[in-house]
Amino acid sequence: MLANVERRAFKQAMFAVRDEDAALDIVQDAMLKLTENYSDKPASELPMLFQRILQNAIHDHFRRQKVRSTWTTLLSALGHRDDKDDDYDPLETLQSRTDTNISADPAANAEQAQTVRMIEQALSRLPARQREAFLLRYWEELDVAETAAAMGCSEGSVKTHCSRAVRALAEMLKARGITL
Amino acid sequence: MNDQESRIAHKLTAYLDRGAADLRSGTVYRLQQARAAALAGINQARTAGTELAMAGAGGSTSGRFGARGTPARWLAAVMLIAALGFGYQQWQAVQQVREFEELDLHLLASDLPIDAYLDGGFQNWLRTTFDY
Repeated sequence: MLANVERRAFKQAMFAVRDEDAALDIVQDAMLKLTENYSDKPASELPMLFQRILQNAIHDHFRRQKVRSTWTTLLSALGHRDDKDDDYDPLETLQSRTDTNISADPAANAEQAQTVRMIEQALSRLPARQREAFLLRYWEELDVAETAAAMGCSEGSVKTHCSRAVRALAEMLKARGITL
Repeated sequence: MNDQESRIAHKLTAYLDRGAADLRSGTVYRLQQARAAALAGINQARTAGTELAMAGAGGSTSGRFGARGTPARWLAAVMLIAALGFGYQQWQAVQQVREFEELDLHLLASDLPIDAYLDGGFQNWLRTTFDY
């Protein structure tokens, strides 16, 4: 089960924390917690439990980060705002490493990779709750009730977050010339 | 949640799948390591649980001694206790022999002839004098 979700889990963590090492730590923590605490649970419950643990691990990361370095975080955020805001791509490092594969492929492949990059960038810019709801509901294919359980909110909130997320993503991508 | 939103969402997730498939090998390796560590934790917990269960049921020799020490330590402790008991018994026997030796020496070295102790008159004198 973990093998099937680990890449998506890593991506989810990356969209949220924008740091590869931190994202890997989060996924590892989530895996360990799942196996330590829930290995006796039925297999059908594990995906939802894993997502819940993963989301909590992401939230814990932010809590720790806030407590540990409030000033550093504040200065860092200000620093990013001073940069060319629209050009800032938190996934630049990750994507630049995949460029070697893409350049070896045909032009269509490169175009598709560019689209992926833009979509990931747009996702990173979504409000955290909208991004969580979208990824859990559509990417992890949890149903509304499971998504609500994983997020710790009502089913109505899940629907609202998902709807807003899809609209926001479509608008952001349309602004960059991508129509879905 | 209407159909159009759902359609857009599924198009987007198809691109996300591609992004996830294109992770660099180092990241994939670290994820595999993390998964292996997590699964190893399960196996260790299961092994420990099995050993505990077997120890509780008395089904494992190593499990029986596992909580308080190895069988060799238990054997050494038992042998030490046995040796101490045997030593004490030997020491007591030697002490008793020495007491008899001292008594004999005293009787032989005293001024009173040894035959006097066997004399019937002496026994009577003891009985009347010390009233025993």
